[in-house]
Amino acid sequence: MMRPAAAGLNCSGVKNMPLSDVYAVASKDIVFESFDGEAVVLDLSNGKYFGFSDSGSKVWQALSSGVGTEALIQSAAGAAAIDAAALEAFIAQLVELGLLAPSSATPLPSSDDLPAALAAASEPLNVSVHDDLADLIIVDPIHEVEEPLGWPAVKQVS
Amino acid sequence: MPRVTLETLPDYARFLITAAEGAAGQFPVQRTVRLPGLELVAHLDRGALADALGQAFIEAKGDPRDSRQCRIFIGHPGIDGMPEPASWGDAHFTEHGFAQKLAEAGLRGHHFHDLDFWQIYDPERRVGVQLMRSADAFPPWEPGAPLRAFLHWEYAARGMRLTHAGTLGLDGKGVLLAGAGGAGKSGTVVAGLLNGLDSVGDDYVLIDLDDGVRARPLFSTLKQDPKGFARLGLEGRLGPARPLNWQGKRVFHINEIAPRPVRASLDIFALMVPHVGDSKTSSIVPISRKDAMIALAPSGIAQMPGERESGFRFFSDLTRFLPCYRLSLGTGPNEIAGAVRDFLARGA
Repeated sequence: MMRPAAAGLNCSGVKNMPLSDVYAVASKDIVFESFDGEAVVLDLSNGKYFGFSDSGSKVWQALSSGVGTEALIQSAAGAAAIDAAALEAFIAQLVELGLLAPSSATPLPSSDDLPAALAAASEPLNVSVHDDLADLIIVDPIHEVEEPLGWPAVKQVS
Repeated sequence: MPRVTLETLPDYARFLITAAEGAAGQFPVQRTVRLPGLELVAHLDRGALADALGQAFIEAKGDPRDSRQCRIFIGHPGIDGMPEPASWGDAHFTEHGFAQKLAEAGLRGHHFHDLDFWQIYDPERRVGVQLMRSADAFPPWEPGAPLRAFLHWEYAARGMRLTHAGTLGLDGKGVLLAGAGGAGKSGTVVAGLLNGLDSVGDDYVLIDLDDGVRARPLFSTLKQDPKGFARLGLEGRLGPARPLNWQGKRVFHINEIAPRPVRASLDIFALMVPHVGDSKTSSIVPISRKDAMIALAPSGIAQMPGERESGFRFFSDLTRFLPCYRLSLGTGPNEIAGAVRDFLARGA
Protein backbone atom coordinates (compact mmCIF):
# COMPACT_ATOMS: atom_id res chain seq x y z
CA MET A 1 0.00 0.00 0.00
CA MET A 2 1.26 3.44 -0.86
CA ARG A 3 1.07 6.23 1.64
CA PRO A 4 2.27 9.82 1.50
CA ALA A 5 5.58 10.17 3.26
CA ALA A 6 4.41 13.05 5.41
CA ALA A 7 1.83 10.89 7.18
CA GLY A 8 4.19 9.70 9.87
CA LEU A 9 6.18 12.85 10.33
CA ASN A 10 6.19 15.51 12.95
CA CYS A 11 5.61 18.28 10.45
CA SER A 12 6.32 21.20 12.74
CA GLY A 13 9.57 19.63 13.87
CA VAL A 14 10.57 18.91 10.31
CA LYS A 15 9.84 22.42 9.14
CA ASN A 16 11.84 23.99 11.96
CA MET A 17 14.90 21.87 11.33
CA PRO A 18 17.74 24.05 10.00
CA LEU A 19 18.95 22.94 6.61
CA SER A 20 22.50 21.79 6.05
CA ASP A 21 24.64 23.39 3.35
CA VAL A 22 24.96 20.05 1.64
CA TYR A 23 23.64 16.51 1.99
CA ALA A 24 24.73 13.01 1.11
CA VAL A 25 22.92 9.70 0.80
CA ALA A 26 22.38 8.68 4.43
CA SER A 27 24.05 5.25 4.31
CA LYS A 28 25.30 2.56 1.96
CA ASP A 29 21.97 0.81 2.50
CA ILE A 30 20.19 3.53 0.55
CA VAL A 31 20.22 2.53 -3.12
CA PHE A 32 18.38 4.13 -5.99
CA GLU A 33 17.61 3.87 -9.67
CA SER A 34 16.03 6.21 -12.17
CA PHE A 35 13.26 5.29 -14.59
CA ASP A 36 12.68 7.81 -17.38
CA GLY A 37 13.78 10.51 -14.96
CA GLU A 38 11.72 9.27 -11.99
CA ALA A 39 13.58 7.98 -8.95
CA VAL A 40 12.87 4.84 -6.94
CA VAL A 41 14.84 4.45 -3.71
CA LEU A 42 15.17 1.28 -1.63
CA ASP A 43 16.38 1.17 1.95
CA LEU A 44 18.10 -2.21 2.01
CA SER A 45 18.14 -2.29 5.80
CA ASN A 46 14.36 -2.54 6.13
CA GLY A 47 12.93 -3.19 2.66
CA LYS A 48 11.09 0.14 2.35
CA TYR A 49 10.63 1.62 -1.10
CA PHE A 50 10.25 5.30 -1.94
CA GLY A 51 8.79 6.61 -5.18
CA PHE A 52 9.42 10.21 -6.19
CA SER A 53 7.30 12.59 -8.26
CA ASP A 54 9.01 14.21 -11.24
CA SER A 55 10.00 17.37 -9.31
CA GLY A 56 10.96 15.27 -6.29
CA SER A 57 13.16 13.10 -8.49
CA LYS A 58 15.08 16.13 -9.73
CA VAL A 59 15.61 17.34 -6.17
CA TRP A 60 16.67 13.88 -5.02
CA GLN A 61 19.13 13.51 -7.88
CA ALA A 62 20.67 16.92 -7.15
CA LEU A 63 20.97 16.49 -3.39
CA SER A 64 22.14 12.87 -3.50
CA SER A 65 24.93 13.87 -5.88
CA GLY A 66 26.17 16.66 -3.56
CA VAL A 67 24.61 19.79 -5.05
CA GLY A 68 24.54 22.47 -2.35
CA THR A 69 21.22 23.36 -0.75
CA GLU A 70 21.51 27.04 -1.59
CA ALA A 71 22.36 26.30 -5.22
CA LEU A 72 19.34 23.99 -5.42
CA ILE A 73 17.00 26.59 -3.93
CA GLN A 74 18.22 29.15 -6.44
CA SER A 75 17.81 26.67 -9.29
CA ALA A 76 14.22 26.05 -8.23
CA ALA A 77 13.32 29.75 -8.09
CA GLY A 78 11.66 29.70 -11.50
CA ALA A 79 9.85 26.38 -11.10
CA ALA A 80 6.08 26.73 -10.93
CA ALA A 81 5.63 23.35 -9.20
CA ILE A 82 8.08 24.15 -6.41
CA ASP A 83 7.93 26.97 -3.89
CA ALA A 84 10.79 27.66 -1.52
CA ALA A 85 9.00 26.66 1.67
CA ALA A 86 7.83 23.40 0.14
CA LEU A 87 11.36 22.66 -1.03
CA GLU A 88 12.80 23.22 2.43
CA ALA A 89 10.14 21.01 3.99
CA PHE A 90 10.78 18.35 1.36
CA ILE A 91 14.52 18.30 2.08
CA ALA A 92 13.82 18.01 5.79
CA GLN A 93 11.42 15.17 5.03
CA LEU A 94 14.10 13.23 3.14
CA VAL A 95 16.35 13.58 6.17
CA GLU A 96 13.55 12.45 8.47
CA LEU A 97 12.95 9.39 6.30
CA GLY A 98 16.60 8.43 6.66
CA LEU A 99 17.39 8.88 2.98
CA LEU A 100 19.68 11.91 3.25
CA ALA A 101 22.03 13.08 5.99
CA PRO A 102 23.90 16.37 6.44
CA SER A 103 27.38 16.19 4.94
CA SER A 104 30.62 18.01 5.56
CA ALA A 105 31.61 17.82 1.90
CA THR A 106 32.07 20.93 -0.18
CA PRO A 107 28.73 21.80 -1.80
CA LEU A 108 28.72 21.31 -5.56
CA PRO A 109 27.17 23.88 -7.89
CA SER A 110 23.99 22.85 -9.64
CA SER A 111 24.26 21.71 -13.23
CA ASP A 112 23.44 24.21 -15.98
CA ASP A 113 20.32 22.33 -16.95
CA LEU A 114 18.86 21.87 -13.45
CA PRO A 115 16.78 25.12 -13.47
CA ALA A 116 15.16 24.10 -16.75
CA ALA A 117 14.58 20.55 -15.51
CA LEU A 118 12.92 21.81 -12.33
CA ALA A 119 10.85 24.32 -14.32
CA ALA A 120 9.66 21.52 -16.62
CA ALA A 121 8.40 19.40 -13.72
CA SER A 122 4.62 19.27 -13.54
CA GLU A 123 4.03 17.40 -10.27
CA PRO A 124 4.46 18.89 -6.80
CA LEU A 125 7.30 17.72 -4.59
CA ASN A 126 6.35 14.33 -3.26
CA VAL A 127 7.82 11.07 -2.06
CA SER A 128 5.55 8.10 -1.40
CA VAL A 129 6.51 5.28 0.96
CA HIS A 130 5.81 1.67 0.05
CA ASP A 131 6.33 -0.30 3.21
CA ASP A 132 3.65 -2.97 3.25
CA LEU A 133 6.27 -5.59 2.38
CA ALA A 134 9.03 -4.11 4.51
CA ASP A 135 10.65 -6.34 7.10
CA LEU A 136 8.31 -7.38 9.86
CA ILE A 137 11.00 -8.67 12.19
CA ILE A 138 13.37 -5.93 13.25
CA VAL A 139 13.75 -7.05 16.84
CA ASP A 140 13.10 -10.50 18.20
CA PRO A 141 11.25 -9.72 21.44
CA ILE A 142 11.56 -13.28 22.73
CA HIS A 143 15.29 -12.90 23.10
CA GLU A 144 15.38 -9.21 23.93
CA VAL A 145 15.64 -9.71 27.67
CA GLU A 146 17.98 -12.70 27.69
CA GLU A 147 21.71 -12.81 27.62
CA PRO A 148 22.63 -14.75 24.48
CA LEU A 149 24.23 -18.05 25.28
CA GLY A 150 26.08 -18.17 22.01
CA TRP A 151 27.10 -20.96 19.74
CA PRO A 152 28.87 -23.30 19.35
CA ALA A 153 29.62 -25.96 21.85
CA VAL A 154 31.43 -27.80 19.06
CA LYS A 155 34.68 -26.74 17.45
CA GLN A 156 34.90 -23.51 15.51
CA VAL A 157 35.69 -23.67 11.84
CA SER A 158 38.68 -21.47 11.10
CA MET B 1 19.78 -25.66 23.44
CA PRO B 2 22.68 -23.84 21.75
CA ARG B 3 22.02 -20.38 20.45
CA VAL B 4 23.42 -18.65 17.42
CA THR B 5 24.41 -15.00 17.45
CA LEU B 6 25.31 -12.77 14.56
CA GLU B 7 28.93 -13.25 15.59
CA THR B 8 28.83 -17.05 15.44
CA LEU B 9 26.44 -17.30 12.48
CA PRO B 10 29.06 -18.00 9.78
CA ASP B 11 30.67 -20.72 11.93
CA TYR B 12 27.29 -22.28 12.61
CA ALA B 13 26.43 -22.19 8.92
CA ARG B 14 29.66 -23.97 7.98
CA PHE B 15 29.15 -26.45 10.80
CA LEU B 16 25.74 -27.38 9.36
CA ILE B 17 27.15 -27.91 5.89
CA THR B 18 29.98 -30.05 7.25
CA ALA B 19 27.58 -32.09 9.39
CA ALA B 20 25.22 -32.69 6.47
CA GLU B 21 27.97 -33.75 4.10
CA GLY B 22 29.31 -36.07 6.78
CA ALA B 23 25.89 -37.65 7.15
CA ALA B 24 25.27 -37.92 3.39
CA GLY B 25 24.95 -41.70 3.47
CA GLN B 26 22.26 -41.60 6.15
CA PHE B 27 19.53 -39.78 4.20
CA PRO B 28 16.87 -42.33 3.19
CA VAL B 29 15.76 -40.64 -0.05
CA GLN B 30 17.53 -39.00 -2.96
CA ARG B 31 15.58 -36.96 -5.50
CA THR B 32 17.00 -35.39 -8.65
CA VAL B 33 15.16 -32.49 -10.26
CA ARG B 34 16.25 -31.11 -13.63
CA LEU B 35 15.67 -27.38 -13.91
CA PRO B 36 16.95 -24.80 -16.41
CA GLY B 37 20.74 -25.06 -16.32
CA LEU B 38 20.63 -26.88 -13.01
CA GLU B 39 20.45 -30.43 -11.74
CA LEU B 40 19.23 -30.26 -8.17
CA VAL B 41 20.03 -33.34 -6.10
CA ALA B 42 18.15 -33.41 -2.81
CA HIS B 43 18.98 -35.79 0.04
CA LEU B 44 16.11 -36.08 2.50
CA ASP B 45 13.73 -38.20 4.53
CA ARG B 46 10.50 -39.79 3.36
CA GLY B 47 7.37 -37.72 3.77
CA ALA B 48 5.63 -34.60 2.58
CA LEU B 49 8.74 -32.82 1.32
CA ALA B 50 9.88 -35.82 -0.69
CA ASP B 51 6.39 -35.99 -2.20
CA ALA B 52 6.47 -32.24 -2.92
CA LEU B 53 9.80 -32.54 -4.74
CA GLY B 54 8.16 -35.05 -7.04
CA GLN B 55 5.15 -32.85 -7.79
CA ALA B 56 5.97 -29.16 -7.48
CA PHE B 57 8.47 -28.67 -10.31
CA ILE B 58 8.27 -28.36 -14.05
CA GLU B 59 11.32 -30.30 -15.13
CA ALA B 60 13.52 -28.97 -17.92
CA LYS B 61 14.06 -31.03 -21.03
CA GLY B 62 17.12 -29.19 -22.31
CA ASP B 63 20.62 -30.49 -22.83
CA PRO B 64 21.86 -31.72 -19.43
CA ARG B 65 25.46 -31.02 -20.50
CA ASP B 66 24.73 -27.33 -19.93
CA SER B 67 23.66 -28.05 -16.37
CA ARG B 68 25.47 -27.49 -13.14
CA GLN B 69 24.68 -29.66 -10.17
CA CYS B 70 23.79 -28.52 -6.68
CA ARG B 71 23.26 -30.74 -3.66
CA ILE B 72 20.79 -29.90 -0.92
CA PHE B 73 20.57 -31.88 2.32
CA ILE B 74 17.16 -31.65 3.97
CA GLY B 75 17.78 -32.97 7.44
CA HIS B 76 16.60 -33.24 11.00
CA PRO B 77 18.02 -34.84 14.17
CA GLY B 78 16.27 -38.11 13.37
CA ILE B 79 18.85 -38.69 10.66
CA ASP B 80 22.13 -40.03 12.05
CA GLY B 81 24.79 -37.35 12.17
CA MET B 82 22.40 -34.40 11.86
CA PRO B 83 22.37 -32.02 14.83
CA GLU B 84 19.47 -30.45 16.69
CA PRO B 85 18.76 -27.06 15.12
CA ALA B 86 19.98 -24.18 17.23
CA SER B 87 17.86 -21.21 18.21
CA TRP B 88 18.60 -17.59 17.49
CA GLY B 89 20.29 -16.10 20.53
CA ASP B 90 20.84 -12.49 19.59
CA ALA B 91 18.62 -9.72 20.86
CA HIS B 92 18.44 -8.14 17.45
CA PHE B 93 17.60 -9.88 14.23
CA THR B 94 17.20 -8.21 10.89
CA GLU B 95 16.85 -10.08 7.63
CA HIS B 96 19.34 -7.77 6.00
CA GLY B 97 21.92 -7.99 8.80
CA PHE B 98 21.61 -11.78 8.86
CA ALA B 99 22.07 -12.02 5.10
CA GLN B 100 24.96 -9.57 5.08
CA LYS B 101 26.84 -11.44 7.78
CA LEU B 102 26.60 -14.66 5.81
CA ALA B 103 27.43 -12.96 2.52
CA GLU B 104 30.68 -11.66 4.04
CA ALA B 105 31.58 -15.31 4.60
CA GLY B 106 30.58 -16.30 1.07
CA LEU B 107 27.38 -17.95 2.24
CA ARG B 108 23.63 -17.44 1.94
CA GLY B 109 21.00 -18.27 4.49
CA HIS B 110 17.60 -17.92 6.01
CA HIS B 111 16.22 -18.60 9.47
CA PHE B 112 12.57 -18.99 10.45
CA HIS B 113 12.47 -18.41 14.19
CA ASP B 114 9.19 -20.08 15.05
CA LEU B 115 10.44 -23.51 13.96
CA ASP B 116 14.21 -23.14 14.37
CA PHE B 117 14.24 -23.76 10.64
CA TRP B 118 17.57 -23.11 8.93
CA GLN B 119 18.52 -22.89 5.29
CA ILE B 120 22.21 -22.40 4.46
CA TYR B 121 23.83 -22.39 1.03
CA ASP B 122 27.41 -22.23 -0.18
CA PRO B 123 27.09 -20.89 -3.76
CA GLU B 124 30.73 -21.55 -4.58
CA ARG B 125 30.51 -25.27 -3.80
CA ARG B 126 26.77 -25.48 -4.61
CA VAL B 127 25.98 -27.30 -1.40
CA GLY B 128 23.09 -26.44 0.88
CA VAL B 129 21.46 -27.59 4.09
CA GLN B 130 17.91 -27.27 5.29
CA LEU B 131 17.78 -28.23 8.95
CA MET B 132 14.48 -28.78 10.76
CA ARG B 133 13.44 -30.01 14.20
CA SER B 134 11.78 -33.05 12.61
CA ALA B 135 10.86 -34.39 9.18
CA ASP B 136 7.67 -32.35 9.02
CA ALA B 137 8.77 -29.20 10.90
CA PHE B 138 8.83 -26.90 7.88
CA PRO B 139 6.90 -23.67 7.26
CA PRO B 140 3.52 -24.35 5.67
CA TRP B 141 4.44 -22.58 2.43
CA GLU B 142 7.43 -24.84 1.77
CA PRO B 143 5.70 -27.69 -0.16
CA GLY B 144 4.16 -25.29 -2.71
CA ALA B 145 7.55 -24.06 -3.90
CA PRO B 146 10.07 -26.33 -2.19
CA LEU B 147 13.68 -25.21 -1.83
CA ARG B 148 12.90 -21.91 -3.51
CA ALA B 149 15.45 -20.06 -1.33
CA PHE B 150 18.24 -22.35 -2.61
CA LEU B 151 17.15 -21.84 -6.20
CA HIS B 152 17.04 -18.10 -5.56
CA TRP B 153 20.61 -18.11 -4.27
CA GLU B 154 21.98 -20.41 -6.97
CA TYR B 155 20.39 -18.54 -9.87
CA ALA B 156 21.22 -15.11 -8.39
CA ALA B 157 24.88 -16.15 -8.26
CA ARG B 158 24.60 -16.73 -12.02
CA GLY B 159 22.95 -13.39 -12.81
CA MET B 160 19.43 -14.79 -13.12
CA ARG B 161 16.49 -14.23 -10.81
CA LEU B 162 13.57 -16.05 -9.31
CA THR B 163 10.85 -13.50 -9.90
CA HIS B 164 7.55 -13.20 -8.08
CA ALA B 165 5.37 -12.78 -11.16
CA GLY B 166 2.92 -14.62 -13.35
CA THR B 167 3.26 -15.18 -17.08
CA LEU B 168 0.99 -15.52 -20.08
CA GLY B 169 2.12 -16.12 -23.64
CA LEU B 170 1.21 -16.82 -27.23
CA ASP B 171 3.50 -18.32 -29.86
CA GLY B 172 6.54 -18.04 -27.61
CA LYS B 173 6.09 -14.34 -26.75
CA GLY B 174 4.73 -13.34 -23.41
CA VAL B 175 3.95 -10.81 -20.74
CA LEU B 176 5.09 -10.72 -17.14
CA LEU B 177 2.29 -10.07 -14.62
CA ALA B 178 3.61 -8.32 -11.54
CA GLY B 179 2.10 -7.20 -8.29
CA ALA B 180 1.50 -8.06 -4.70
CA GLY B 181 -0.94 -10.76 -3.62
CA GLY B 182 -4.60 -9.95 -4.22
CA ALA B 183 -3.97 -7.85 -7.32
CA GLY B 184 -5.50 -10.48 -9.62
CA LYS B 185 -2.28 -11.94 -10.97
CA SER B 186 -3.03 -15.61 -10.34
CA GLY B 187 -6.63 -15.39 -11.51
CA THR B 188 -5.43 -13.80 -14.75
CA VAL B 189 -2.90 -16.58 -15.33
CA VAL B 190 -5.53 -19.28 -14.76
CA ALA B 191 -8.08 -17.50 -16.97
CA GLY B 192 -5.47 -17.30 -19.73
CA LEU B 193 -4.55 -20.98 -19.47
CA LEU B 194 -8.21 -22.01 -19.56
CA ASN B 195 -8.60 -19.96 -22.74
CA GLY B 196 -5.71 -21.47 -24.65
CA LEU B 197 -2.80 -19.21 -23.70
CA ASP B 198 0.55 -20.50 -22.49
CA SER B 199 2.22 -19.83 -19.17
CA VAL B 200 5.58 -20.76 -17.71
CA GLY B 201 4.32 -20.25 -14.20
CA ASP B 202 2.59 -18.18 -11.63
CA ASP B 203 4.08 -16.92 -8.36
CA TYR B 204 7.71 -17.70 -9.22
CA VAL B 205 9.39 -17.86 -12.60
CA LEU B 206 13.05 -17.76 -13.55
CA ILE B 207 14.11 -14.68 -15.50
CA ASP B 208 17.32 -14.00 -17.37
CA LEU B 209 18.29 -10.83 -19.21
CA ASP B 210 20.96 -12.32 -21.48
CA ASP B 211 19.12 -11.62 -24.73
CA GLY B 212 16.10 -9.51 -23.91
CA VAL B 213 13.88 -10.77 -21.08
CA ARG B 214 13.29 -14.52 -21.00
CA ALA B 215 11.07 -16.34 -18.51
CA ARG B 216 11.47 -20.05 -17.77
CA PRO B 217 9.33 -22.38 -15.69
CA LEU B 218 10.35 -23.79 -12.32
CA PHE B 219 7.25 -24.55 -10.25
CA SER B 220 4.06 -26.12 -11.47
CA THR B 221 1.90 -25.04 -8.54
CA LEU B 222 -1.14 -22.81 -9.04
CA LYS B 223 -3.45 -21.59 -6.28
CA GLN B 224 -6.90 -20.08 -6.04
CA ASP B 225 -9.09 -19.25 -3.09
CA PRO B 226 -12.42 -21.13 -3.13
CA LYS B 227 -14.25 -18.12 -4.57
CA GLY B 228 -11.80 -17.74 -7.44
CA PHE B 229 -11.72 -21.53 -7.92
CA ALA B 230 -15.50 -21.50 -8.44
CA ARG B 231 -15.55 -18.28 -10.50
CA LEU B 232 -13.00 -19.73 -12.93
CA GLY B 233 -15.05 -22.91 -13.35
CA LEU B 234 -12.35 -25.08 -11.80
CA GLU B 235 -14.76 -27.03 -9.60
CA GLY B 236 -16.29 -28.59 -12.69
CA ARG B 237 -12.92 -29.25 -14.28
CA LEU B 238 -10.85 -30.44 -11.32
CA GLY B 239 -13.53 -31.41 -8.81
CA PRO B 240 -14.41 -29.53 -5.63
CA ALA B 241 -12.49 -31.82 -3.31
CA ARG B 242 -9.09 -30.15 -3.52
CA PRO B 243 -7.84 -29.61 0.03
CA LEU B 244 -7.15 -26.10 1.20
CA ASN B 245 -3.56 -25.09 1.82
CA TRP B 246 -2.25 -22.95 4.70
CA GLN B 247 -3.59 -19.80 3.02
CA GLY B 248 -7.05 -21.31 2.60
CA LYS B 249 -6.43 -21.75 -1.12
CA ARG B 250 -6.98 -24.74 -3.37
CA VAL B 251 -3.77 -26.02 -4.94
CA PHE B 252 -3.51 -27.54 -8.41
CA HIS B 253 -0.91 -27.87 -11.11
CA ILE B 254 -0.36 -26.11 -14.39
CA ASN B 255 -0.46 -29.29 -16.46
CA GLU B 256 -3.99 -29.96 -15.21
CA ILE B 257 -5.36 -26.93 -17.04
CA ALA B 258 -2.75 -25.94 -19.64
CA PRO B 259 -3.83 -26.34 -23.27
CA ARG B 260 -0.50 -27.96 -24.21
CA PRO B 261 2.78 -28.93 -22.52
CA VAL B 262 4.50 -26.04 -20.77
CA ARG B 263 7.00 -24.29 -23.03
CA ALA B 264 10.69 -24.20 -22.11
CA SER B 265 10.60 -20.39 -22.13
CA LEU B 266 8.72 -17.26 -23.12
CA ASP B 267 10.32 -14.16 -24.60
CA ILE B 268 8.83 -11.41 -22.47
CA PHE B 269 7.95 -8.23 -24.36
CA ALA B 270 5.86 -6.33 -21.80
CA LEU B 271 5.48 -5.89 -18.07
CA MET B 272 1.87 -5.78 -16.98
CA VAL B 273 0.50 -4.77 -13.58
CA PRO B 274 -2.99 -6.21 -13.03
CA HIS B 275 -5.44 -4.68 -10.64
CA VAL B 276 -9.09 -5.28 -9.95
CA GLY B 277 -10.92 -2.67 -12.02
CA ASP B 278 -14.36 -1.17 -11.66
CA SER B 279 -15.55 -1.88 -15.18
CA LYS B 280 -17.05 -5.00 -16.73
CA THR B 281 -14.48 -4.93 -19.50
CA SER B 282 -10.72 -5.11 -19.17
CA SER B 283 -8.38 -2.37 -20.33
CA ILE B 284 -4.65 -2.18 -20.87
CA VAL B 285 -3.02 1.25 -20.66
CA PRO B 286 0.61 2.37 -20.38
CA ILE B 287 2.00 3.21 -16.94
CA SER B 288 5.30 4.70 -15.87
CA ARG B 289 8.27 2.42 -15.39
CA LYS B 290 8.59 3.80 -11.87
CA ASP B 291 5.11 2.53 -10.98
CA ALA B 292 5.77 -0.81 -12.67
CA MET B 293 9.05 -1.20 -10.78
CA ILE B 294 7.30 -0.55 -7.47
CA ALA B 295 4.72 -3.21 -8.37
CA LEU B 296 7.34 -5.74 -9.45
CA ALA B 297 10.30 -5.45 -7.11
CA PRO B 298 9.06 -5.29 -3.49
CA SER B 299 7.35 -8.67 -3.35
CA GLY B 300 10.14 -10.36 -5.29
CA ILE B 301 12.77 -9.01 -2.96
CA ALA B 302 10.80 -9.35 0.29
CA GLN B 303 9.95 -13.00 -0.34
CA MET B 304 13.50 -14.00 -1.13
CA PRO B 305 16.15 -13.94 1.58
CA GLY B 306 19.30 -11.99 0.86
CA GLU B 307 20.59 -10.62 -2.45
CA ARG B 308 18.56 -7.45 -1.93
CA GLU B 309 20.73 -5.00 -3.78
CA SER B 310 21.39 -7.37 -6.68
CA GLY B 311 17.64 -7.93 -6.88
CA PHE B 312 16.94 -4.21 -6.93
CA ARG B 313 19.45 -3.74 -9.76
CA PHE B 314 18.15 -6.77 -11.67
CA PHE B 315 14.51 -5.70 -11.48
CA SER B 316 15.52 -2.15 -12.45
CA ASP B 317 17.24 -3.46 -15.58
CA LEU B 318 14.27 -5.70 -16.35
CA THR B 319 11.84 -2.80 -16.01
CA ARG B 320 13.91 -0.56 -18.27
CA PHE B 321 13.94 -3.29 -20.94
CA LEU B 322 10.15 -3.45 -21.22
CA PRO B 323 7.16 -1.25 -21.96
CA CYS B 324 4.90 -1.24 -18.92
CA TYR B 325 1.11 -1.40 -18.71
CA ARG B 326 -1.68 -1.47 -16.18
CA LEU B 327 -4.20 -4.24 -16.79
CA SER B 328 -7.53 -3.21 -15.27
CA LEU B 329 -9.38 -6.47 -14.86
CA GLY B 330 -12.96 -6.82 -16.01
CA THR B 331 -15.41 -9.10 -14.28
CA GLY B 332 -15.38 -12.19 -16.51
CA PRO B 333 -12.43 -14.60 -16.78
CA ASN B 334 -13.06 -15.21 -20.48
CA GLU B 335 -13.20 -11.50 -21.23
CA ILE B 336 -9.95 -10.92 -19.28
CA ALA B 337 -8.24 -13.71 -21.18
CA GLY B 338 -9.53 -12.27 -24.46
CA ALA B 339 -8.07 -8.84 -23.65
CA VAL B 340 -4.68 -10.37 -22.86
CA ARG B 341 -4.84 -12.59 -25.95
CA ASP B 342 -5.52 -9.56 -28.18
CA PHE B 343 -2.60 -7.74 -26.58
CA LEU B 344 -0.32 -10.74 -27.06
CA ALA B 345 -1.44 -11.17 -30.67
CA ARG B 346 -0.56 -7.54 -31.40
CA GLY B 347 2.85 -7.90 -29.76
CA ALA B 348 3.76 -11.46 -30.76
